[in-house]
Amino acid sequence: MPDISTLAILSIALPWAGAVLIWLVRDRQPQLQHALAVVFTLAGAAAALAMIPQRSEVNVLDFPLGSAFGQVTFLPDGLAVFLAVVATTIGCLAVVFSVDYMKGEKQLGRYYAYVLFFIGSMVGLVLSSNLLLIFVFWEITALCSYALISFYNDDPKAVTAGIEALIITQVGGIGLLAGALFLYAYQGNYDVPTFLAGADRLPPNVLALMAFGFLVAAAAKSAQFPFQTWLPDAMEAPTPVSALIHAATMVNAGVYLLARFYPAFEAVPNWKLAVVSVGAITALMAAVMALVSNDLKRVLAYSTVSQLGYMVYAIGAGGIFASQFHLLSHAVFKALLFLSAGAVIHAVHTRDMREMGGLGKQMPLVKVVMIIGGLALAGIPVLNGFWSKELVLEAGHEGGPLWAWLFMLVGAGLTALYTLRFLTMVFYGEPRSGQHVHDAGPAMKVALVPLALGTLTTWLLAGSFGHFLGKALPEGHDVESTGALLLQVATAPTTFVALAVVALGLAAWWQRARLAGLAHSLRGIGTMASNSFGFEAINRAVVSVTEASAESLRTTHNGVLNWNVMAILVGLVVVLAILALGGA
Amino acid sequence: MMSLSLPLMAAVAVLGLLGIGLLGLLVTRNLIKVVVGLQVLVKGALLALLLAGRLSGQVQTGQTLALTVIVADTIVSVVALALAVQVRRQFGTLDLQALSTLRR
Repeated sequence: MPDISTLAILSIALPWAGAVLIWLVRDRQPQLQHALAVVFTLAGAAAALAMIPQRSEVNVLDFPLGSAFGQVTFLPDGLAVFLAVVATTIGCLAVVFSVDYMKGEKQLGRYYAYVLFFIGSMVGLVLSSNLLLIFVFWEITALCSYALISFYNDDPKAVTAGIEALIITQVGGIGLLAGALFLYAYQGNYDVPTFLAGADRLPPNVLALMAFGFLVAAAAKSAQFPFQTWLPDAMEAPTPVSALIHAATMVNAGVYLLARFYPAFEAVPNWKLAVVSVGAITALMAAVMALVSNDLKRVLAYSTVSQLGYMVYAIGAGGIFASQFHLLSHAVFKALLFLSAGAVIHAVHTRDMREMGGLGKQMPLVKVVMIIGGLALAGIPVLNGFWSKELVLEAGHEGGPLWAWLFMLVGAGLTALYTLRFLTMVFYGEPRSGQHVHDAGPAMKVALVPLALGTLTTWLLAGSFGHFLGKALPEGHDVESTGALLLQVATAPTTFVALAVVALGLAAWWQRARLAGLAHSLRGIGTMASNSFGFEAINRAVVSVTEASAESLRTTHNGVLNWNVMAILVGLVVVLAILALGGA
Repeated sequence: MMSLSLPLMAAVAVLGLLGIGLLGLLVTRNLIKVVVGLQVLVKGALLALLLAGRLSGQVQTGQTLALTVIVADTIVSVVALALAVQVRRQFGTLDLQALSTLRR
């Protein structure tokens, strides 16, 4: 058995090596490309899984990069190994699914190379304990997501969505980079464990700047309010990529960042309140938007945004364990939902749910697994989503303000409502399109079944999962056994309140004909929600202002060498003047 | 009368070379003269590196960097002059203003 530092490097390097190989193979041998992708992601997943028994609470691997960059260090503790396992195994299943989904597509090399590069970078992001390195991996994942969202690069909508995702996550990246530079300025290196062990050595105002910078970074990456628009637009990507972004890589990074640095920022005034508010507003708003969308993938995207809101909310309320446990449940059932949605979309060649319906007979397996995933999303016992969502709500009830808790409760009810809505629209009723529907391929089924089994069972891991996270949790987090934890959830009053709200949501869908009057009076909110509450308009305004100012600055870029040298000289004079004034 | 030590003379030479080079880049529109201006500028930078090496007591570092700059600078001027020949053949002029395509 290789030691932990070798495994850490392997779990990054294997997907990356696979990416290079697939790219070298060229697109004339698609079978070989499929096979290479599956083999290398499987090997990466195996390396990540092998880290589980050997996880370490201290830095492993010390590789100096010179004074300005510090050490390349990895910290494979419970939290990091957990996320690395999620990224590689879910990523592996998404790749297996792609074998059927992407069959016959052109430019498979580009597709698989970016997918594997993406998976490896996500593992690097969670394993590294050098803040500058975290930033580098953070930006690589942003670049990969851009390239994959715009994979169909002859479709202007896909290209726009990719650029939108890139720009918004870059805005967040600035927050992270600023945090890294502050850390270097005040600590002398980028070492994260040193920082977490003694964050109070930094001046309080610098710590607050870092805390809120990281919150911006996490919100942009995890598509939280007010940056949530990029994730639904990213639905132009091939569906396995959506599953990858939503469940395995990318959006988990924001939640990871908040959970990792929670011990350092906990004491910053108003930070926890800000995190709770961001999570609560996002969870409720995205749930409303999921209710009115007719695009199957967009509904799932909004549900991801909403569920990420739950995780962020739990972190703000101090429930790190609850948030990470919900992340685990969500990764499993959301990958399941996306991949089964991919099978449906692959079968009917549309994403519009109004053109689906009655698909249950043609694709029985997909129907069963998607209903399992949907019920987990809605928080129905005893699926994994139920336990983790109840833990989140309980943590929020203890540690967060009451209004935010009520937001989350309403969000839970709405989740149940929109889940039933999309399941009914896809699988029940009369078929609305006359075209031939073919069932999912064998590789698709191979990817779906383990995820469905996971959705049914991962809640049994609650106790050992808490034990596994171990020291990565902040102090005062008691780790309980599975039985005690489940009993605690099953007997907590918040559980029954939440279940009642969920039942109310289900009943509302059942009795939707009678509630027509109510629905009619809420139509205004529905219209606002379909326009994404004006956030698209804000995005467009930002873009047009940027373009207008760039246009007016165009005269300064006249391509005349003399003018450019003049600008350099003026810049030099300005810098010298600032230095002279600063020295005085 | 101020005594003219070696470092002082070198510093004056550095500033003079940099100034002449920049002035050349600032006023000329001929591609060949731009390359010449760049050469003068780089020679100033070279001298500055050697001077800095001597003043900080790390003579070897300064000389190493200077050698690196010489190599890079030679390549730059060779490629630039080759380009200038091609530009003259293709467009019939070496005037940068006339060559620029960024105008509207």
